[in-house]
Parts: sequence; structure tokens; C-alpha cells
Amino acid sequence: MSIYGSAVKKPITTIMIFMAIIVFGLYSLVKLPIDMYPDIEFPAITVFTTYAGSNAADIETNISRPIENSLNTLDNLKKISSVSRDNISVVSLEFEYGSDLSEAANDIRDALSLVEKSLPEDAEKPTIFKFSSSMIPIMMFAITADESYEGIEKILDEKLVNPLNRINGIGSISLIGSPIRQVSIDINPQKLEAYNISVEQIGTILRAENLNMPSGNIKMGQMNYPLRVEGEFSDSDQIKDLVLGNFNGQTIYLKDVASVRDSIKDMTIDEKINGKQGVRMMIMKQSGANTVKIAQEINKKLPELKLDLPGDIALTTIYDSSEFINGSISNLTNTLMYALIFVTLVVMFFLGRWRATFIIVLTIPISLIVAFIYLYVTGSSINIISLSALSIAIGMVVDDAIVVLENIAKHIDRGASPREAAIYATNEVWMAVIVTTLTVVAVFFPMTMVSGMTGIMFRELGWIVTITVVTSTMAAISLTPMLSSKLLRLQKNNNEVKKFSFDKIVIPYFNRLDNWYGKILGWSIKNRFILIIGALVVFVGSLFMAGNLGTEFMPETDEGRFSIEVELQSGTRVEKTIALARRIDSILYSFPEIQLISTSAGADEDGGMMAMFFSTGTNIINYTVKLKHIEERTRTIWDIAEEVRKQLNTFPEITNYNITLGSGGMSGGNAVDVEIYGYNLDVTTNLANELAQKLKNVPGARNIEISREKSKPELRIELDREKMAAVGLNTAMVSTALYNRIAGLTATIYREQGEEYNVIIRFKEEYRNSITDLEQILLQTATGKTVRLGDVGQVKEYWSPPNIERQRRERIVKVSATPYKVPLGDLAANIQAEIDKMDVPNEVMIEVGGAYEDQMDSFKDLGLLLLLSLVLVYIVMASQFESLKMPLIIMMSIPFAFTGVILALLITGTNLSVIAALGAIMLVGIVVKNAIVLVDYINLMRERGMDLDQAIVESGKSRLRPVLMTALTTILGMLPLALSTGEGSEIWSPMGISVIGGLLFSTFITMIIVPVIYRIFATKGERNKTKEVRAQFDFMNN
Amino acid sequence: MKAIFIIYNQAHTEKVEYMLDMLNIRGFTQWTNVSGRGSETGVPHMGTHTWPEMNSAIISVVDDTLVDTVLDKVQKINAINEEVGIRAFVWEVLKSV
Repeated sequence: MSIYGSAVKKPITTIMIFMAIIVFGLYSLVKLPIDMYPDIEFPAITVFTTYAGSNAADIETNISRPIENSLNTLDNLKKISSVSRDNISVVSLEFEYGSDLSEAANDIRDALSLVEKSLPEDAEKPTIFKFSSSMIPIMMFAITADESYEGIEKILDEKLVNPLNRINGIGSISLIGSPIRQVSIDINPQKLEAYNISVEQIGTILRAENLNMPSGNIKMGQMNYPLRVEGEFSDSDQIKDLVLGNFNGQTIYLKDVASVRDSIKDMTIDEKINGKQGVRMMIMKQSGANTVKIAQEINKKLPELKLDLPGDIALTTIYDSSEFINGSISNLTNTLMYALIFVTLVVMFFLGRWRATFIIVLTIPISLIVAFIYLYVTGSSINIISLSALSIAIGMVVDDAIVVLENIAKHIDRGASPREAAIYATNEVWMAVIVTTLTVVAVFFPMTMVSGMTGIMFRELGWIVTITVVTSTMAAISLTPMLSSKLLRLQKNNNEVKKFSFDKIVIPYFNRLDNWYGKILGWSIKNRFILIIGALVVFVGSLFMAGNLGTEFMPETDEGRFSIEVELQSGTRVEKTIALARRIDSILYSFPEIQLISTSAGADEDGGMMAMFFSTGTNIINYTVKLKHIEERTRTIWDIAEEVRKQLNTFPEITNYNITLGSGGMSGGNAVDVEIYGYNLDVTTNLANELAQKLKNVPGARNIEISREKSKPELRIELDREKMAAVGLNTAMVSTALYNRIAGLTATIYREQGEEYNVIIRFKEEYRNSITDLEQILLQTATGKTVRLGDVGQVKEYWSPPNIERQRRERIVKVSATPYKVPLGDLAANIQAEIDKMDVPNEVMIEVGGAYEDQMDSFKDLGLLLLLSLVLVYIVMASQFESLKMPLIIMMSIPFAFTGVILALLITGTNLSVIAALGAIMLVGIVVKNAIVLVDYINLMRERGMDLDQAIVESGKSRLRPVLMTALTTILGMLPLALSTGEGSEIWSPMGISVIGGLLFSTFITMIIVPVIYRIFATKGERNKTKEVRAQFDFMNN
Repeated sequence: MKAIFIIYNQAHTEKVEYMLDMLNIRGFTQWTNVSGRGSETGVPHMGTHTWPEMNSAIISVVDDTLVDTVLDKVQKINAINEEVGIRAFVWEVLKSV
């Protein structure tokens, strides 16, 4: 028994099966997490090795190079690069997308264990660091305070961080820029010298005094008393009254030689949020956790927690990644709803029957819901890729049901009972329906096999469209006949047609359209050669126009957020940096679109998490700027950034600045990197500077950056070993002494209410801010003598050498630029032109890479994909028509689809991105489907004995409506996608634009050119076949 | 005894089966999915891509008195829509065991 037969005969079973699918689907839908992209681990592993006391060049030769050499042969390794700085080597390994990182980490461990022996003995064991998405903050808050500022860390820890940490899925929460309380003992070195006390002695005394110690038990009478010495400071005020010793019979207190402050640590970083003092709170999720759900819970909990905070503490969201995700998702969901409505209207308009429309439209939710089951089973999420895949599929899933239902309706109209009609009509078309589905599958299935970054993005899209379209075919040959047998009725042939009925109003127009088209087709066949030449001219012309098309990797999105990194002359002290930050602040406030500015100037000494995402230094200001919601402003983020750039250009003290839009995220930026390979640091640095200078004149090049850090001025103390030996000193003793006086000696810990605060002894600032001060530092020798630093060494000013970057095991410096209002491809071409003009030394090699390289890789992948799809589609069609010629005729419509894509992109001014190119590839399947319908019918008519010309015209007239209908459902299904302007729409609207443009153009062409080509190729008519047969059986005539 | 050969478009299956039941004709032999074409009108029913429709055929040996009733019913089924197609032919049955 066939599927459709069983389905019609067992309606309850059929309904139950589909109910089961729907229930599973809804369950999956509820359980599915919502995210921006499919889960992608950036396949990178970093190896850190520290080798204290060596400079960048030493690190490069002794650490980075051996490690690179040993790791170079790992499986799936795509790129190896390293940065060698003073004391540390960072080797970064980038793997192919989709490689198993834990396996890679194991391989790295094995390889490292071999190379460890050849590393310098003092070098520490290399550590392997796997970057994961859980390290990217999902939310960032600005917390400002007035009077509670000093104690803010403790307050936030207790009242905010700890309760929030209890939310499921939160990985970690970190506070940045919070003031740290400490007890500072600022020494006056001259007094210290006068009393002949050293910093270290004070440290020892403090440690000895700040002590609680149990000292045994005492038995008294019948009791046993434990004995304790309680010496710990109960109040920080006690510290200054500490007795240091006696001098000439006089007691010396700590306050005599130093001032004691219990306050907050000297800040080298200045955090301001909208101009107010504050801290930033970053929330990281566990890998695999649901961003949107966590954000929801945090937002739900926050108002409650805010009540417990002191009144002056204000909390503002700087960044909530769930906002953009939610915006994008709800935008796409709307798109999906509109598509559903449009498709329903089209079906209704063409069929004119409610029940039929209902049956057909019902296949949409069923097919789409299966996609949710797939997503749930594979552990994926509702993301913009999966939702746009559904948007693409929505117009295609009704096609099969339409074909089946039309045939059933035809049989019913001829008097068959709905039950019989359902079975036998489906029997007639089910093969054809499956084959047309196969052509669509032939295009989308190869997408699941594409490798690399493009593959990660489109694998899900390929699977979803394949699965939904296959499901729709299954539904079309089971559910559709079953429902037709139950719901469709024979329309009574009563003559009194209602005045406003469908038959009265719409049908005459359809008939006139059919006839008009028939006439055009008749004329076209007669003038076929002129038309073919015309079509060729249009196609070739469009290819020339394609040269004007800008190319880019991924469309950039307006996430309403950008960050600025402003760099001053290296070595600038933090106070000057902060002063400049205030001036830039005031400029940023003048932008009406800017909602929130978070400024961080200088460097946090501890670095910590921040240092992983931003470069920090006393001369660097980092801004995070949040714009108003996209609908509330007229200027785009690119225009605003450009205006900010103009303003920043007016500051002469800014040596460099860099504006990064959005979160960067997965698109990995949109920059062109020029990679300059060469061993000689001076030559490549000069070359990089020269290129950067030239790039400033390239139109549209912005954010020009050189990866090699500038040399920093640094003070070096050169010790004279002979002199040191004479007084009994060594380098370690001198450097420790220096550290204790300049950086500070952590003498002991002061405890108060369960919290611990460092007690730090160091020279008062005025005694440690000149070279003379340094030389005056008194050192104590092992013999108890004292000697000044100036006597055993010299303080010299130096330029520290830059960090050394390597890539593919060669030294490299990168110059990068991001495009503004120019396509990435053009920018890369212009940069290449500038490079060609430059005088490049022989030993230096220059390559253009970055996002441009990714773009080229992706286009190559997509080109292969296109080829694969074309071959598969040909195979499917050749076997369907049992002909090698027919598929070629049908595939003639494909070039014109590309013409349509080029025109649509040019008219809308959209760049050819990977997404738009993908749309063009999808067209192969969609366009061919239309031509199949037409050519198949022409074949049918000819086999039924019609004249070639007549067959073409008649088939055209008869198939015009079905072709228009399937084309319109697809076009209108994608229209909301192409037109949407909300959050994230920049990503997928190019796909909608290219599919609509291509389909619109190719549908018109298909209806004219395909019949014309058919006419040219199919000269051998049905009658010739009859003649052949007659010749074969000639014997009967004798 | 007469043999009635009814050949009809599959789409008439239910009507033909009902007719036999209604007339209390117990014995018959049925071939499903047979192809053929009419001598004068109608499209061929070949089950091919060109002519996708298919026939079924029934032969039933009935009393002479029933023959006209059967032919009348067949005529009625045919009248619903002549495009669908049903035909009946009658033979004399000479002997049977």
C-alpha cells in the first residue's frame, strides 16, 4: 500500500502521526535556547611561556621559535603566530573550523613535552590556554556612586555579585576599576636615614607586631584556660603609633618617619561612567549556557537587588548582548509571520478556495516545526541562521502541496469522490513532486558539506532547508491527500454564479493574462534568434556591470555600540591621560545620539581580565559608547563614528586612535590586514610606517593600525658588579630593595570585619619621581653598611625594543585598515595598488590578508558549492527527463537569475557579501524548479501529439499560473527578509535582495527564453519518432 | 449465464464496488492497475508520465436477468463525467464448472 493510500484510508493514524510531530516540535521549541549564531567555538589555543629577565629577541629565539617548530606539524593547524615580549612568549595556534579542540590540546601537550627539554632551564613550563566563548562578557553594567564610592567593592560583592552568582549558567562576574582599600605607609627616606632604619626593618617590625598567637594552656584551680597573645591591630590608627626603636634615648614612632593613610589604593586607572565615578561589572556565562535566559534572569533580579544598595549607587546597562539577540530574533520572527501571511494570501488569490488554501498552508507550520526538532536534537539553538533558513523555506514548502492539491481538485471536479480523487490524483503526481524536491535538495544539501568558516555558518541553513523541504514533500503526499479527501467538496455546477465570487472577478483577469502571455510566447518563438541574441547581450552586459559591484566578507551590523581606543605618546603619565579623557568626554557628550559613555583611562596594575580584551597602559584611554536605539536616531553608527574620528583628529597629542564598531563578534571585524614579513625589525617597522602613512590617503581607509607596539622610554639601572661585590651586594639584593621602595613592600595584612587589607610600605611619592631620587636610594649591605644606589650603578634612559610578532614562523608586522563607505574588496585592491608602488626590499614579503583573506576563502568555497550544486541539479534533472539535452535547456534560466542578482544588488547599492552570494546559489534550485514545470509540460503536450509550436504556447498558457504562484510565494516569502530594517537586519537582507532580484528577473526570462531555447533545440518532433518506429516495423507493410 | 467485463478509470473504483454489492453480485474477478485506451473518445489511460491515469477491470459472471441492470448502472456512472471513463462488455458463458 502506498503512503498516500494508507494516509487517506487511515485518517486518524495520519493525523496522530502529524500530531506527534507537532508535539515533539513544540516541546523542542520551548526547550531551545536562543542565541545569535550557531554554537561556534573559535578554534584557537594559546601557549604562554614566561622566561623572566630576557628581552623580546631572546624570548623569540629561545622560546617562541622552538615551540613554533614543534607545534607546526599538528593536525588541522591553520595558522601559527607568536608574540615575543620582554619576559613572555605567546604562541597562538589557529585550527580549522570544526576541529576537536580537546584533542588538539592533547597533541599540543605531547609536542610541548618533547620541546620542553630544549627550552632554557629558567623558563617556566609552557601553559596551554584555550579561549572559549564563555570568556566574552554577555552583559556589562556601569555602577556609579558618590559617597559610597570608597567602599563600593565590598558593598557590591555582598549585595550584588554574590546573589547574581547564584543564577544558573553564570560563569563569573568581575568588577573593573573598583577602588581597593589599603593601608599605605608613605616613608620619608631622609628621616629614615637619620634614624638609621631601613624599609625592610619597618616591614619586619610591622609583621612582628601584627600578630595573634595561641601560647599554650594554663591550669588554674579547676579550670583550664587557653592562653593567647593578641597583638593584631584592631584599628588602622594604631599602626602610626608603632614603636620602631630608640635613637639617642628617644622613642621613635612610625609616625615620625612616615605618614600612615588608611584609604584607597593610588589608582592608575580612572573609570568614569557618564562623567561619574564608578566601576564596571562584567558578567560572563558558562560555555553552552543560554545567554538570553541568563540576561532575562539578571534583569528580573536586579530591581530587587537594587533596593538593598545605598541610595547613591546607580546601575546602568552598558551592554546587554541579549538585547541585540532578542531584537534580531523578534525581528526575524516578525519576518516569518509576514512571510506566512503573504504566502497564504498568494495561495488564496490563485486558488480562490478557503478549504484548499487551509490545506496547503497547513504544511508550512508542520514543515517548519520539524526544523525545531532537528535543532533540538543536534543541540543547536534558535539563532539568526536557523530563523533565516526558515524564512527561505517558507515559500518553498507549499509548492508540493499545491501540485498535489490541484490534481486532486481536478479529479473531484470531474466527479470522483474526494476519497478516490485523493488517492488516484496523488498517485499520478507523487513521483514528479519528489523529483522537484530533489532539485532543491541538490542545492541545499551540499551546503552541509562546505568546510571552513562559511561551512559553520551555512551547515545549519543547508540542513534546515533540506529537512523542511523533504518534510513538506512527505506532508504533501500524505497529509494533503488525507485532508483533501475530508475537506474538499465537489463545487456544484449551478449556473447562478454569485456576483462577487472569485470566479466572477479574478478568473477573467487570469484568463486574459494567460491569453496575453500566449500571444507574446507565439511572437517570441517566431523571432527566437533575435530574442536569444538580446538575452545574451543582457547577460554579458550584466557580467560587465558586476565589475561595479562592491565585495565584502560579512555585512556589517549596526549594534548601536562602539569602542574607542585612544593612544597618547607612549610613556605619558596617567594624570595627563585622564585630563585628555575629560576633554574627549565633553566632545562625545555633544552627540545627541550617544546614550552612555564609559571611560577608562590608564592601566589597572593587576591587568586581569581586562587586559585580555583591551590593551591598557598609562597612555591609553578606552571608551565604550552606547548609542540610542536604532529607531530613535537618524544617523547610522558608521556616520557617527566618522564624525567622532573627525573630532579626534583635532587633538595633536593623540598619536593614534581606533574605533571598533559593535562587539566584533563572529564576523571577526572587517579589516584588511597587510602582512609584512621580514626579519630585520627596523626595515619592516619603517616599511609599516611608510605604508600606514600612504594608507591615510587611500579613500575609505580608516582605523589604520600597526601591530608592532611603539618603543617605550624606559629607565634601566646598570649595576657595576665589581663595585657591588666590594660592598657585599648582589643584583638580587639591589633589585629587591628597589622594588620595596618604589613599588612597595607588602608588610602585613590588616584585618577588619573579616576582610583583609594590605599594609604597604613605600617611599612617599615626592621621593621617588626623579632619577636623582633613585640614585639617592640608600641600600643596606650584608655587613650592615649603607651605600647609595648611585655609587654602585647608573640609571640610564632607554627605548625598550618592540614586541616581536611572528606568523607562519617568520617575523611579521601587520598594518590594518577598516573600510568606511567603500566595499572591502575595493579597499583591498587600492591598498594592493599602494603596495605595488612601494619600493620593497628583496628580503621582505608583503601579503594582503585579514577579513579580505577570509572573504576570498569564502568566495572560493562558495564557488565550489555553486559548481557542486549545478552538477547535482543536472544529474537529478537528466535522470528525471531521461535526457541529456533537457537539463541544459532548463539550466539556461540560471545565468539570468545571476543577472537579476547583479541588477538587484546594484540598484539597492548592496555589496556582494558571502550572504548575498549564498542567496545567488540558492537561486539555482529555486529557478530551475520553475523551468522544470514549464519544460515538463511542453514535453507532455508534445507526447500527447501536439505540434511543437502549439505545444509550447499551450503549455505556457497552462503553466503560467503555477509558475507565477510558486515564484510569488518564494518572492513574497523573502520580501520581509529583504525589507527589514531592524536590529541585525544588515546580515540577512542581502540574501533576501539577491534571491528576490534573481527570481523576479529569471521568472520573466524563464517564461520567454526557456521556451525559445526549447524551440531551437527541439527540432526533432514527436512525428520524427513515429517515423522511426514505422521504419523499424516496416515488415508489416509487405 | 453471461460474463460482464467492466473496465473503468481507477477513480470509479468505489462506485463500481458499491454497484456490485448493491446488486448482490457476489462473484467477480478484478485486475487493478491495467492500462488501455478507448476506441473513440477519451484519453489513453496508460499510467505513464504522458498519460498518467490508470484503469481497473472486473469480470463477473451473472444471471441473464441481471445484465441489463448492470449495464444501466454502468451507464449512470459514466454519466457523472464521461471524461473519466467506464465501459462494460457482455459475453455469453457456454459452460462452467
